[in-house]
Amino acid sequence: MTLNLLLRRTHIYLALFLLPWFGMYGISSLPFSHPEWFKPPDGGPQRTVRFDRSYQITVPQTSDLRETGARILQDNGLQGSFGVYQPNPQRLNVYLFSFWSATEITYFIDQKRLLAEDQPFRWSSFLTGLHARGGFEQESLLNDAWGVLVDFVSLGFLVWIGTGLYMWWQLQPTRFWGGLALGGGVLAFVLFLWRL
Amino acid sequence: MFSKFLRRTHMYLALFLVPWILIYALSTMAMNHRQFFTKRGDSPVRFEKESEQTYTGTFPLQATARQMALQLLKGLNLEGTFSMQGKPESERITILRHDPIFPRRITFAPKSGQLMVERQVFSAHTFLERMHRRRGYQHDRLLEDAWAISVDVVIAAIVFWALSGGWMWWELRATRMWGGACLMLGVGLFGLFLFSI
Repeated sequence: MTLNLLLRRTHIYLALFLLPWFGMYGISSLPFSHPEWFKPPDGGPQRTVRFDRSYQITVPQTSDLRETGARILQDNGLQGSFGVYQPNPQRLNVYLFSFWSATEITYFIDQKRLLAEDQPFRWSSFLTGLHARGGFEQESLLNDAWGVLVDFVSLGFLVWIGTGLYMWWQLQPTRFWGGLALGGGVLAFVLFLWRL
Repeated sequence: MFSKFLRRTHMYLALFLVPWILIYALSTMAMNHRQFFTKRGDSPVRFEKESEQTYTGTFPLQATARQMALQLLKGLNLEGTFSMQGKPESERITILRHDPIFPRRITFAPKSGQLMVERQVFSAHTFLERMHRRRGYQHDRLLEDAWAISVDVVIAAIVFWALSGGWMWWELRATRMWGGACLMLGVGLFGLFLFSI
């Protein structure tokens, strides 16, 4: 196998394997770029309360609240991927999510009360959830595997650039217009960096 | 003819959008490993003082905080997209100028006229993340709209590359079997993730 063929095949097979991620990142960019297209005219369905009960836990004064979040979920029979944040000193929010559903759990520290609300399914949340999912902070192997694939997709983009440039250069009749397109793109991008 | 048109469009569009794709790829990696940067103790936003002066200009009567901010930015040659906090009667007005490379924080005390300009210390991962998140048509500037259009072009291009790439693959008979296997593997894996995490 020649280098030329190897690069061509890498370009195409990598693209076919990563096609679902590639398509997903393209389509799921739309709700970020055009949030107004995805807003239901009537505000859409409201959250539903799953439970609202008395509960007590000590919230530490440290920045890492993940342990407390995990404990809240465990104590209340909930599990899954989650994030924790403290919007103000009297509240702690645990956000439990999958691609299809999300539950917001609010602990009112001063009232010693725990409220869990299920969010209704929305296409915009589904798409933005797919797009933004990444990282390695969740405690499950599959979540880490998703994080690895996000890296792999990013690497895929770099490989497509490299192999694409190589294949373009091999096509002698396209060098002029290709050079113009590449130069135009770089120039436009630099202009944006300089003037935005 | 159609095939050649598709191939050329696929390639020229890709060549034009190389800088965008490069930024999105690198920024995705940086965001996927955000913990690494925060664990290193690298605070995402740090500012250093660039200048400090007493502002001697005057504002029109009944000027809003936004009008004041626009005037201040013009006087500093820092016109562009910004967000702000504060009112004319507040202790201070804080303006954040959204420059892609060096965002600036301008703090103005209306009573004393004290005007301080701070520049965000450059860090590669915050720059990449900023570029990744820059989008939308909510600003009043033509160039911001042009950037938002370029983001939409990237979105459309991604969909087009997926479709035209599929077409070009199918035309290459020799690659159908292994290509089909890669595609099925990718779809299967994606489906598994979709329903299990």
